[in-house]
Amino acid sequence: MDTISLLMQGFDVALTPTNLMLAVAGCIIGTIVGALPGLGPSNGVALLIPLAFSMGLDATESLVLMTSVYYGAMYGGRISSILLNVPGDEPALMTTLDGYPMAKQGRAGDALVLSGVASFVGAFLATIGLMFLAPTLAQVAYLFGPAEYFALYLLAFSTLGGLASKSQAKAVLASCIGLGIAMIGLDNFSGMPRLTGGSMHLMDGVDFLVAIVGLFAITEVFVFIESHGKESSIGVTLNKITIPIKEILGSTVTMLRSTVIGFIAGILPGAGASLGSFLAYSAEKSIAKDKETFGTGNPKGVAAPEAGNNAAAGGALVPMLTLGVPGSGTTAVLLALLMTLNITPGPLLFEERPEVVWGLIAALLIANVMLLVLNVPLVKLFVKILMVPPRVLLPGVTMVSFVGIYSLSGSSFDLLLMIGFGVLGYVLRKLDIPTVPIILGILLGNHMEDSLRRAMVVSGGEWQYLFSSWIAIVLWIAAMVGFTAPLFLRNLIKKPTAHDH
Amino acid sequence: MADRLFAGLMLVVAVAYAAVATKIQTSFLGDPVGPKLFPIGIATAAAIACLFIIFKPTADTTWPDLPTFARILVALAILITYTYLLKPLGFVIPTALVAGGLSFLIAGHVVRSALTGVGLAIGLYVVFRFLLGLSLLGFPKSWFGV
Amino acid sequence: MKLKMQQLVAGISLSVGLIGTSFAAECIAPANPGGGWDFTCRTIGKIMYDIGAVADPVQVTNMAGAGGGLAYTHVVNERNDDGDLIVAASSATATRLAQNAYGGMTADQVRFLGAIGADPGVIVVAKDSPHQTLTDLLDAIKADPASVAFAGGSAAGGFDHLKALMALNRVGYTDIRSVKYIGVDSGADAITQTIGGFTQAMTGDISEAVGFIKSGDVRVLAVFTDERLPGEFSNIPTAKEQGVDVVAVNWRGLYVPKGIDQADYDKWSDALAKVAASQEWADAMTANGLAPFTKVGDDFQTYLDGVIAEVQTMSKELGVIQ
Repeated sequence: MDTISLLMQGFDVALTPTNLMLAVAGCIIGTIVGALPGLGPSNGVALLIPLAFSMGLDATESLVLMTSVYYGAMYGGRISSILLNVPGDEPALMTTLDGYPMAKQGRAGDALVLSGVASFVGAFLATIGLMFLAPTLAQVAYLFGPAEYFALYLLAFSTLGGLASKSQAKAVLASCIGLGIAMIGLDNFSGMPRLTGGSMHLMDGVDFLVAIVGLFAITEVFVFIESHGKESSIGVTLNKITIPIKEILGSTVTMLRSTVIGFIAGILPGAGASLGSFLAYSAEKSIAKDKETFGTGNPKGVAAPEAGNNAAAGGALVPMLTLGVPGSGTTAVLLALLMTLNITPGPLLFEERPEVVWGLIAALLIANVMLLVLNVPLVKLFVKILMVPPRVLLPGVTMVSFVGIYSLSGSSFDLLLMIGFGVLGYVLRKLDIPTVPIILGILLGNHMEDSLRRAMVVSGGEWQYLFSSWIAIVLWIAAMVGFTAPLFLRNLIKKPTAHDH
Repeated sequence: MADRLFAGLMLVVAVAYAAVATKIQTSFLGDPVGPKLFPIGIATAAAIACLFIIFKPTADTTWPDLPTFARILVALAILITYTYLLKPLGFVIPTALVAGGLSFLIAGHVVRSALTGVGLAIGLYVVFRFLLGLSLLGFPKSWFGV
Repeated sequence: MKLKMQQLVAGISLSVGLIGTSFAAECIAPANPGGGWDFTCRTIGKIMYDIGAVADPVQVTNMAGAGGGLAYTHVVNERNDDGDLIVAASSATATRLAQNAYGGMTADQVRFLGAIGADPGVIVVAKDSPHQTLTDLLDAIKADPASVAFAGGSAAGGFDHLKALMALNRVGYTDIRSVKYIGVDSGADAITQTIGGFTQAMTGDISEAVGFIKSGDVRVLAVFTDERLPGEFSNIPTAKEQGVDVVAVNWRGLYVPKGIDQADYDKWSDALAKVAASQEWADAMTANGLAPFTKVGDDFQTYLDGVIAEVQTMSKELGVIQ
């Protein structure tokens, strides 16, 4: 049977009134969970799994609900990024860079519509890619060993310097702060505690959510008080909301490029949506003619990370379904759901359980269209958040942040840590040191270290092993060039993505 | 100046970090890299970046005036107090107080701030506890006769 | 505006009105989804709810890190009196405790509830591997230890690592430190690395490999059981019949916090015993290559004390702990 007729079967399974209702509910819940700081897609999906059981949903129905929540949360994260400069979850981190400046200029509506369309393009194309290429693309995971992963993470960090507008040293310092924090906790390799100062609370390491919420939401409280609201988007005047056709058409190529980058980042287990959106953003910035406008409200800076992270979300389903290896925290939860439904993902899933796979793909497509339809008209509602007076909105966001962190870990230590990050964020903001590299350091630091250490074990300490495949070499060159001469990055970023098809 | 001060401070932190890192226990099954290399490498990179900033600082920062600074400190104190009140008093009461306090710091209107505090406390409690199903203690445990 | 917000909120509360369900119980899987601990939590949790042994669905939390050490530390320090908490455990938990690898934590800091199944250990290679039998592989290591790297889902020194070392020990190879082993996030990850050719063999449990065995991407060199497995895996030779006398099964069970009421403990042992006796569990075991292995309550504690002592002796003998 060819792909199309399989897909039609999938739609047959997925397009029932119950499923459509579940999809609507899932999209709305997902959007809200995604938009609330501290609660991301993995929490959304994890919170709803017991619900799916208690409602007695069957396999397809559960999948429809969960995938809608999954994609809904991916869409929702950008809302608070753009409107409040507080990323709703970690993949939406990069969207703050240009989305928030756009909102400050009164173009919050434009930014939301544009990012909604970009999310749709990224997610939709990724789903198509999943549909036609999944079994083939699964092979990509076999090409990435410890050396290749290390080079990939190195590439991510080497391009961080390009994020800082003025001083590369400041960006380096910021990523070192993040990496340094990532090292805290039990060492994955030896099981020994590192840099915890004997504190039991730090044994688990520092949760990146605590850092994100602290560095963004709590910092905002201090900045707002200092500037009496002048430097905050809260209370800005809004331009009339129209569909920003010019911006959408102007970023079409950006969206397509970012989709490819994001999708590939998603396919690689361990890289995930954050890396996808980050690489998409820095690639776009490095090839743009108007580099200096990135970070000041360039629409491409909104389109790239949103297309990138949603494509990565779709791409992450490839290793999850075909290998049983989750590419991100959220697919990990989806994988767990499948296993509870007695569906064991693996190389044979597409052959053994076509009704599940194609039902899932149909569900993804439905969720996507639904989210686009829901999101564009809802922009009017979202931007109204900005009209809530600051005296309500600011305490509101702060309290949500506290609850988000507290209800997940139940630890007041995490709350104090979050406030500490808030103070750090305030100081860094005053000194014009970017905070995004800190988060990426915390997110990717341990992966990078583990990859290097695994590579050294496998090779018996031979450093040449790190350059032993063409993928590793290409990534290394890209990393070198990315750090020293962002000008050349354009060609090198394009090459590996073209080869992988 | 602020740049240099901060970079100087971070330089001290980096040195201290590296010093602590040299004392990390290694376990019985060593790998060629070991648990110390990365922390020490990171501290070194941070130190180099700090030196760069010290020698080539960028534009200077304007700091808030004293009254504003005092208000920021008050906000900080309020948030820290909140973390200690959450466990014994449950969610609703501390949230009403803290949200009201922050609101007052921003807008300086007693009645409106109080309303904001109470409204947010109850509203958020309902959203998180019942809509999202998070396990959140609303009121002090003693209220339930435990 | 206010009205619209209210409408939105009302709409959501209607569509998710059922969310009022409480998640009374939580099961912590101390690893990423896809591995053995995750399977334990998901399957046992679901069956407990399906057969009515617990009133509400069991929520599963994944808490990966330090070979289960993160979750263990968390339970001992922060959840010691939480009667609604169960945690997936296995031979790996006992191994790490025996080796003092949980940062000074000891086995008596939690209460072990029981085990209700065992996952036979396997050594797996990629389908194009030159090694046809376990003996081939072990001989290759003896000749050149650098030529073979193992990947497994447990941390260095953990149960997966030990299984490979035990096999080598039986054929007279004792230079433990020269054996290459990398601990990755899950058994599925370990297989991916092995198929990709970055490591030459995967040491793990059969349930982690089922999908890949069926698809023909990997070949099982040996299973560490006394007898061959029944059913579709009966063509897999045991290590014993290849002259390598290692029996290593990964029991699947649960522990609960030390400080909970006896009533809560009894509630959970009853629930676990019910799962063990259910048809659903029997089916789940068959589908995942698990062998029956039921020990609940004090019976299990006695068994466990013995195992921990044995692993300690063995680890010292192997030079894994000083």
